[in-house]
Amino acid sequence: MKNRKEQQLNLQELADWVIARTLKAGANDCKVSLSKRRLVEINYRDRKPEVIKEATTKNLYLEVFINNRFAAQSTPDYRQSTLEGFINGVVESAKIMEEDPFRTLPDPKYYEGRSTVDLQLIDPDYNQMTPDDRHQMVKTVEESCLEKGGDKVIAVEAGEYDATNEEFVKSSNGFEGSSQTTIYQIGASMTAQDEGDRRPEGYNYVSCRYRSDLPSLEEVGTVAAERTLDLMGGKKIATTKIPVILENRGAARVLSGLLNPMSAGSIQQKRSFLSDKKGESIGSKLLTLTDDPFIPRGLGSLLYDGDGFPARKRDLFTEGVVNEFLVDWYYSRKLGWEPTSGSISNIIIPPGTRSVDEIIKDLGRCMLITDYIGGNSNSTTGDFSVGIIGKLYEKGQFVQNVAEMNIADNHLKFWNKLVEVANDPWIYSQAIFPGLVIDDVVVAGI
Amino acid sequence: MKPIPRRKFIQSSALAGGALLFLPVIKACKSPGGQLSGNYFLKEFGIDETLCRKLLANALSKGGDFADLYFEYTVSNYLGLEDGKVNQSYGDISLGVGIRTVKGDQIGYGFTQDLTEESMLSAASTAATISDMSAASVGSSFTNLETGNYYPVDPEFNGIPGESKLPILQSVNEKCFNLSAEIIKVNAGFSSTAKRILIVTSDGIVAEDIIPSGYLYASVVAERNGKREQSSWNLGGTRDLSFYNDAVIDEITSKSVNSALTLFDAKQPPAGEMPVVLGPGVTGVLLHEAIGHGMEADFNRKNTSTYSTMLGKKVAEPFVNIIDDGTNMNLAGSINVDDEGTPGQKTILVENGILTSYLHDKISAKYYGVEPTGNGRRQDFQNYPIPRMRNTYMTGGDATPEDVIKEAGNGIYVENVSNGQVKIGEGDFAFYVSQGRMIENGKLTSPIKDVNIMGNGPKMLANITMAADDLELYHGGAGQCGKNGQGVPVSFGLPTCLVKSLTVGGTQQKGDRS
Repeated sequence: MKNRKEQQLNLQELADWVIARTLKAGANDCKVSLSKRRLVEINYRDRKPEVIKEATTKNLYLEVFINNRFAAQSTPDYRQSTLEGFINGVVESAKIMEEDPFRTLPDPKYYEGRSTVDLQLIDPDYNQMTPDDRHQMVKTVEESCLEKGGDKVIAVEAGEYDATNEEFVKSSNGFEGSSQTTIYQIGASMTAQDEGDRRPEGYNYVSCRYRSDLPSLEEVGTVAAERTLDLMGGKKIATTKIPVILENRGAARVLSGLLNPMSAGSIQQKRSFLSDKKGESIGSKLLTLTDDPFIPRGLGSLLYDGDGFPARKRDLFTEGVVNEFLVDWYYSRKLGWEPTSGSISNIIIPPGTRSVDEIIKDLGRCMLITDYIGGNSNSTTGDFSVGIIGKLYEKGQFVQNVAEMNIADNHLKFWNKLVEVANDPWIYSQAIFPGLVIDDVVVAGI
Repeated sequence: MKPIPRRKFIQSSALAGGALLFLPVIKACKSPGGQLSGNYFLKEFGIDETLCRKLLANALSKGGDFADLYFEYTVSNYLGLEDGKVNQSYGDISLGVGIRTVKGDQIGYGFTQDLTEESMLSAASTAATISDMSAASVGSSFTNLETGNYYPVDPEFNGIPGESKLPILQSVNEKCFNLSAEIIKVNAGFSSTAKRILIVTSDGIVAEDIIPSGYLYASVVAERNGKREQSSWNLGGTRDLSFYNDAVIDEITSKSVNSALTLFDAKQPPAGEMPVVLGPGVTGVLLHEAIGHGMEADFNRKNTSTYSTMLGKKVAEPFVNIIDDGTNMNLAGSINVDDEGTPGQKTILVENGILTSYLHDKISAKYYGVEPTGNGRRQDFQNYPIPRMRNTYMTGGDATPEDVIKEAGNGIYVENVSNGQVKIGEGDFAFYVSQGRMIENGKLTSPIKDVNIMGNGPKMLANITMAADDLELYHGGAGQCGKNGQGVPVSFGLPTCLVKSLTVGGTQQKGDRS
């Protein structure tokens, strides 16, 4: 992050120049977002590098408003000599659009009140990491995975990705924001020899803002192997109705079907099964979902949203009740509502008190769902259906691994069956969810 | 890095793309020198033979089997209609070069958006780090690659102008509302892309291509007695404006509207194993997930595919023939040349029930000692090529569709699917049925919707027991296949066929009442 202040100054100057040129070209208003990313990626297989990749990217995204007409375009070319033509092109594109009275930049009063808290999104030690460090990290993960996988291993692929990201955003009506972040991702996938031609592939990848927040690299590789070995002998069972536990790291796959219909766009376009549910209960008392942008080092942490509104902590669902929709500036105007923010940051379900292992002991016959395959969710009706992989338990005892099965339900029924929340929030994601226990779910198999 | 090691297909109507329609003023800093291929990149960016030689030499400065350069200039634009107005215009320019050095199965890769000699040499140096031997040489001469032309387009094609899209989108909106008073919302979108690529390899191949692509879609919401249903349809592929005529608009609007209205009567099927009849066309997603991904040769050379040991073996009934084809005119997955300089071609995967070939890029072809099959594809210059499908389909059988449905007895009939996913090692796959029908006593009965279907690829392949003579290729343009974080356009096709047994993920156990 050397010369960060200098780089930001350069981006500010460029943004000012783009705004001035865009207004001169005929726009009433505009907003420019400038971003830069430096990335490194290293993958290993068979104890040697399989891929080494490194690059820098940049992007300029320009939104133009002319008499309620709108166009937006992006380009990687920052040179002023070529940006003149680019800007004229965006302005011309906007001019041919049909007039839409709701297409404006936000009222500047909504930009006010932004927090100045330090979200700690840049690892100060990022530049200390050497190419050798990266190779050593991946080798450690690979070796641990190979060791734990033992004679079941067909193949192990381990990888590390890290990047720095820088953004500067400015609008012609007074918004200005910037952010710098670092990110590390590391993990491994393993393929194992199972019965017949089955070769189950399991994986474990984690993401952090700070290198020091990564779990031990030995653990990352070992868990990848353990999760693969947990897939061995996976078979479907007869279709049944039982309690299921959505494991913490994958629970967002099902819960995301609740978020899309929360957007003002879905509601205004009549594609939301939640549009008339504000203030109503659609889930059990355990369904509290908080959007918290201020978690230090959080993967979804931010100070302003896509419209430039100040980030704020809020409950989207409180004890099962729909509390607040995701209302951006454009659709707030279409709906005649106050904007709230169309963006989500870190989403959190408060953890319970018991571990998944303890809960399983009390559930009788139940299934722990560890992964998903395919599936979809209908935002208009709330119906969803998704393939699952997991483990079957009976009175707390492991019975068998399951694969090639499916769960299906309607969200308005499903979340009322949330009967317990585990104490194990998954912290390596912006969806910080613990394990979720859902009663009476039809699990389809034979 | 691949956070989720899965491969999936998403039939997307997402609001993506953009609206840039002027020719580039972008110039590189290099003066023209030697001649290369069709000369677009020379003319616009000063990419000449001397420069390419220098970059390739740098990429091979520490050894390696070969190196290649992939120059890309892509202009994308999207116009969207909502609430009766064409009020969204989005555009994107992608410009840069990806430089790859290959040593055995190891890849060094650098890319840059700056087509200056200094930046490109730096990217080449990054690629070179994969090897640590003495320098390898670049071929003594360059030859322009001869290819077919599966999407003829004006050499000056630079995307479909926004002005041309407006009346088409307005027509889609009007026709949807005119088709039924129960339609309450219409969204429509028109995406188009002009992608120019130049590939130069250290073994002396030069290939240049211009790929037109895009789609027109409609998505509608219908309301009846307080209940709402939605449906969408798109058509497109590697095409220019001439494709999007009244007949295309009629098909998109009627399919969207009729599907949405049908869904009011739809119910969830019972859960569990049952016969599944796949209707013709878009249901070819099943082949893509259940078979296609497992046949991509990178998974097989790494022994991670369930098909790794099946080459030359019987995997299906003798009437089953499955093809992956880059040569279909104007389909989304058609390619004149793949992204590492191998001509687009047709590859037979399963012939008379026998597994005959994998889908190869150059690395896997060398590993298996065969010729590349033209499946080395990539999303863009920021990514290196890997084996990918193009248009994957099964040829027709000799039954009629009615015979196939009758043979199923009791089960479900799949009409439309929205997405799918596969686990390569296990062969387990899923695809999402957005619309279908129950089959009761050999006849189509009530509509069904929103159900995921699960199966195992090799088992499913062996369980295709009947096929009709009505092969239909999918002419949509919005479909993307995802693998290792890279999306590429693909298509597929299928005749009506019967799969003896798959797991249907309904909400009710058999015997329950809905």
